[in-house]
Amino acid sequence: MTPPSALRTVVLWAVALVALAVTLFPFYWMLNTSLKPATEVFASPPTFVSAHWSLDAYRTVLTDRPVGRYFVNSLVVALGTTALSVLLAALAAYGLTRFFPRGATPFVLFLLFTKMLPETLLIIPYFRLMSDLGLLNTYWALVLAYSSFALPFSVWMLVGFFRGIPREIDEAATIDGAGAWTTFVRVILPLARPGLVAVALFTFLIAWNSYVWALVLTTDASMYVLSVGIANMVGEYRVQWNELMAAAVIAALPVMVLYALLERHLVSAITAGAVKG
Amino acid sequence: MDLAPRQRQRLTGYLFVAPVALFLAAVVIVPLGSAVWTSLLRVRGLRSSFVGVANYATVLADETFWHGLARSAAFTASSVLLHVALGLALALLLAELRTARTALRIAFLTPWMVAPAVGATVWLWLLEPQFGVVNYLAQSAGLIGSPKAWLGEPLSAFASVVAVDVWRGVPFVMLLMLAGLQTVPQEQYEAAALDGANAWQRFRYVTWPNLRYLVVVATTLDVINTVRHYDIIGVMTGGGPASATEVLPVLLYNTAFRGNRFGEAAAIGVLLLAIVLALVVVYIRITRIDRDAGDAR
Repeated sequence: MTPPSALRTVVLWAVALVALAVTLFPFYWMLNTSLKPATEVFASPPTFVSAHWSLDAYRTVLTDRPVGRYFVNSLVVALGTTALSVLLAALAAYGLTRFFPRGATPFVLFLLFTKMLPETLLIIPYFRLMSDLGLLNTYWALVLAYSSFALPFSVWMLVGFFRGIPREIDEAATIDGAGAWTTFVRVILPLARPGLVAVALFTFLIAWNSYVWALVLTTDASMYVLSVGIANMVGEYRVQWNELMAAAVIAALPVMVLYALLERHLVSAITAGAVKG
Repeated sequence: MDLAPRQRQRLTGYLFVAPVALFLAAVVIVPLGSAVWTSLLRVRGLRSSFVGVANYATVLADETFWHGLARSAAFTASSVLLHVALGLALALLLAELRTARTALRIAFLTPWMVAPAVGATVWLWLLEPQFGVVNYLAQSAGLIGSPKAWLGEPLSAFASVVAVDVWRGVPFVMLLMLAGLQTVPQEQYEAAALDGANAWQRFRYVTWPNLRYLVVVATTLDVINTVRHYDIIGVMTGGGPASATEVLPVLLYNTAFRGNRFGEAAAIGVLLLAIVLALVVVYIRITRIDRDAGDAR
């Protein structure tokens, strides 16, 4: 390729930075607003940088509002979903890739089908089912609901990772006298660790970011997860935008940090899951 | 019980797969069946009676459903078109830059990582009619004369939810395209450069033929994801104003949980499912075709 001219590089960077500014501006504004005192939020013209930035709004949402509680709810539900999905998915991926190398395809197609169901269709029976079972406003309702759409993703991705582990390794373990279960726990799981991390992270993100299920399956404010609690604050008579944005930062920050740390794993998992059959 | 090794082998396999199969049967198949069954019922509070296809007749005779379908088509078409066009453009741009590629990729992906409901809430504040920063910026730039209630008028509300969905959806397509660009054989670019191809020709004759398949896959996948998406519109407008943003998933939610008409809502859901399934079949056919082609090569 021709060596890049300086002018071309400058133009490309200029375009990239403009695109980046548009992409990230909402987050800057979220952060900026969350740090402002209530009086300055409605200043006109709005202030882009302020001498009065403080963490007051965060203090308020964590003490006077149940945002801490929402955070715990989100965390419990997301961790529960992740644990359940990764455990079940690892079992299935092992079984599918090791025992039914060919029969796996119909099952994987079935998974594809389930992960593409419209969630708004399923929330109707879920709502009725969970209320019949008395599970509305429980963590269980959310963990089960989230697993229903996270699990197909997890199995799908793990099947890809498990296929990448050579069968010879299993056979070596079998020759050494290890049963299927021992091989799975002692040999395959440690080897599949990068895959398991990526899938766990992805499952966690799906559960943490989910909204409409929790909107329907929780009616008691103390059981709200962050996404529902935050969206509901908009409906208040007089919205305290600085507090609302502080809550939004609290919801967004953990996934941003997790994601930035584990970006490499996640990207490979997502692209593989979307493109391969 | 004495089993042949082969049978034992199979049995072991079933034992590993069974938990997921049973779990999915319980949390997906049963609710799905229940949804289809509900679409055949008239639900009044705790009582429900079987009415056959009456709900479908009601829904299909109702103007709102067709309006919702048209809104869904418009929303999906405009969002997906912009996702793919901008996602591809961004990927090409990032692939050209030599430095800070990972950092840029992470930065560009941020909107996609944050919960759609939370992102939508942030945008509600940006678009706020009196104090929103979008009004301030648009006014400063001379684009509008007076502050605008973006979500208050049908046309601008629709444009706004599309814009927010584009903001959120571009990164995913960009990610897929970046992965695809890495698979383009470097020698082809070198050969093109030797032939004196300019940037456009390199894109047209090297990048595009290699990427075309992935663009089709990404588009199909994105259509499936966009047509069933609820969160952004649910949070931003709830379907209003004057039903301007009432796409099918939102109509479904409103019919069930605001109108309390579960039977009709389920019927809308089954119709939406049919649309999604048709798209899934397209998706499977596309990806399958390529797999076969890949084997043949």
